[in-house]
Amino acid sequence: MQRGRIFLTGVGGQGTLTATKLVSLTALDEGLPVVSGEIHGMAQRGGVVESTVLIGYLSPRITHGEADVVLGFELLETLRALCYLKPGGHVVANSEALPPLSVAVGKVPYPDLDEVRDKALSVASKVLFLPARTLAEQAGAAQSANTVLLGAACAAKALPFGMEALERSVRKYLKPTLTEVNLKALALGAKAAHG
Amino acid sequence: MPSPLLADTPGETLLLLGNEAIVRGAVEGGVGFVSCYPGTPSSEVPDTFFRLSSEGDYHFEYSTNEKVALEVGAGAAIAGLPALVTMKHVGVNVAADPLLTLAYITAPGGLVLLSADDPGCHSSQNEQDNRHYARLAGLPCFEPSTAQECKDMARDALHLATRTGQPVLLRTTTRVNHVRGPVRLGKLPQVKPSRPFSRDLQRFVPIPAHSRVQHVKLLDRLAAIRLEAEGSPWNKVSGSGGLGVIASGVSRCYLHDALIEEGLEGAVKVLELGFTYPLPDGLITNFVQGLEKLLILEELEPLVEEHVRALLQREGVSLTVLGKNGTLPCHGEYSTDMVRQALRHALGRQARTSDHCPPDMDLAVRPPNLCAGCSHRAAFYTVREVFGDDAVYSSDIGCYTLGLLPPLSAADFLLCMGASISAGSGFARASGKTTVAFIGDSTFFHSGITGLINAFHNKHDILTIILDNRTTAMTGHQPHPGVEHTSIGPNERIVEIEPLVRACGVEQVQTLSPFNHKAAKKALTEMKALPGTRVIIFRAPCVIHDRRVSGKGKPQTAVVSKTTEGCLDVLSALACPAFLKEGGQVRVDEELCSGCMFCPQLDKSFTAKKRGA
Repeated sequence: MQRGRIFLTGVGGQGTLTATKLVSLTALDEGLPVVSGEIHGMAQRGGVVESTVLIGYLSPRITHGEADVVLGFELLETLRALCYLKPGGHVVANSEALPPLSVAVGKVPYPDLDEVRDKALSVASKVLFLPARTLAEQAGAAQSANTVLLGAACAAKALPFGMEALERSVRKYLKPTLTEVNLKALALGAKAAHG
Repeated sequence: MPSPLLADTPGETLLLLGNEAIVRGAVEGGVGFVSCYPGTPSSEVPDTFFRLSSEGDYHFEYSTNEKVALEVGAGAAIAGLPALVTMKHVGVNVAADPLLTLAYITAPGGLVLLSADDPGCHSSQNEQDNRHYARLAGLPCFEPSTAQECKDMARDALHLATRTGQPVLLRTTTRVNHVRGPVRLGKLPQVKPSRPFSRDLQRFVPIPAHSRVQHVKLLDRLAAIRLEAEGSPWNKVSGSGGLGVIASGVSRCYLHDALIEEGLEGAVKVLELGFTYPLPDGLITNFVQGLEKLLILEELEPLVEEHVRALLQREGVSLTVLGKNGTLPCHGEYSTDMVRQALRHALGRQARTSDHCPPDMDLAVRPPNLCAGCSHRAAFYTVREVFGDDAVYSSDIGCYTLGLLPPLSAADFLLCMGASISAGSGFARASGKTTVAFIGDSTFFHSGITGLINAFHNKHDILTIILDNRTTAMTGHQPHPGVEHTSIGPNERIVEIEPLVRACGVEQVQTLSPFNHKAAKKALTEMKALPGTRVIIFRAPCVIHDRRVSGKGKPQTAVVSKTTEGCLDVLSALACPAFLKEGGQVRVDEELCSGCMFCPQLDKSFTAKKRGA
């Protein structure tokens, strides 16, 4: 990836920003010209969290139709973010849901996986959904779902570096107590990508 | 090991948030004093200084408001220390009074004001363009566009301020404050600059006779600083061609990327402005020589554009200028795509079309909601129970603004920090309606107290509800005069709110927890029957801050024993994020429930149980 734009989306508390930082730090360690963006503010717990990682660009902003990759940490948010994907781009996403309040109180429907997959396939060239939270629990901690997704994205060649670089970052930047679980999470994500 | 941000490791590259880079730049520039009022998108600057304050060689304070922050910083700089004062764009309005006169009397130690603007209103009530303040006050202005520039311009702004005494504006925008990018560190100063104060009445005491003289000196200083802008490395020309583009602020990033995407690198003549006030007229005049067309890129107001148009007229240059008059808006943010379209338009190329999928507007949204266990939810619920739709709710700036949405519906109008009591007073007098003002603890200290004094003095008929959650929650739990705990230790000098309210003259005051539903309802009912200026202080710690400070959560959670009519009513009236409805049955998510135990007081279908049991 000489130049590229990655759009990350999820819900507060899912570790979207931690994953964003890990991707950026890995890119920097690999000598890539990286820039990353995140918008804070009204995003409380449970709100949408959108962030970006770009290689070879200066602006941290991604607008509609510009992203080479959409990394979706939550199913509904992946659907919402598809408008950012460049036609022919790449979607790697969690197939599991975190319903918003309006859905939780029974007022609004939640899209099903097939609907999101179909819509993704209508614009993307490659689409990969995996049960990130379930795999994270297998790895030892539900909180490592973000790392599962990164492992899958990396194995699916949606990230600008290889699995070894990502493993180095997990060892270097995460708390030592979290290293083993997250290495396992990377591996489970990668395995799911190779299907 | 010191924090990498404070280490003298020149040449090392760190991945930094724009706001962290500003901290490093100020340290490289020899900052000795930092004051602020927090506000998104500026907050990580003071929060980082606060976090590092035990190892850094600077004084730091969270001030009570932006005016105070600037005055404290100005005093420090008059005393000779290089000072950085930080705030969000609307905060500069609060600080405008001292700012405009400080530009006359100068700050010999050097003072940089960080104004974090918010085009696109990501987290603000307006998107005002604070480059106007550079012009209004006479402040040299720097506008970084990358994390590296945040660092380098913070340093250079401080150097310029220290060298000239003129306060300098460091103007950022949300995208730049929250960009994360590689930053190559520079050297730390071996000796800190300091200019001990020496008495000079004509300079430092602006009585009219002195001010008239100082205004002329200010204009002279600006003229000299303009010459620096002419030769500044932050204002640079590149490329060649018949189309010229002048870009400033974050638009420079969009231009850089748009030129790549359009295959126009080097094929357009570019003037990048980073040192943006006073504008380098000579440089601009030279730049436009031989151009066929000029495109100007700046977010929000056409300040550079109008200046350049006037300059061209003065220089007798006839040139087509494209900017806000064409396709580019005076509102919101720019983007790479928008700049690509502007370049295409300028070059007579066809507009780009894209077949990406359109945004789906019908999807379930996730509007920002008060957290599970937020004390504001309990307060709003009971206020609405007592006052209903008959009362009018004057709101203020803080987490509690989120109470505007149904079902809590606790905001009918809102102006700015501290306005709820005063605007509510005027509304009540003009309309004769029962008016309830909501204000947070930090906002009360910021500027609500003056409104309360006014309400009492002018006999306004208003019930003020101070939502005292013991922290500045919205912007990231910064301390204020009333808190018990800060993120780095206890507050040893607490200013209590109730005695302060009583000292303002208010006699009808009650302090209680909003989580005690029966007591809260009784207090509100009593206050509703009374005339005049009344205050209820709903005091309960922010659930997030409390958990962080104490390191533990509450021992209980709520559970639903049976889904009844009453249970469904509570579900729809509270909209607590811990509630779930599955197949007609209401459930409480134990992981999300904070254990505030408010819902069991409203309906007996909710009961308490030991967490994890």
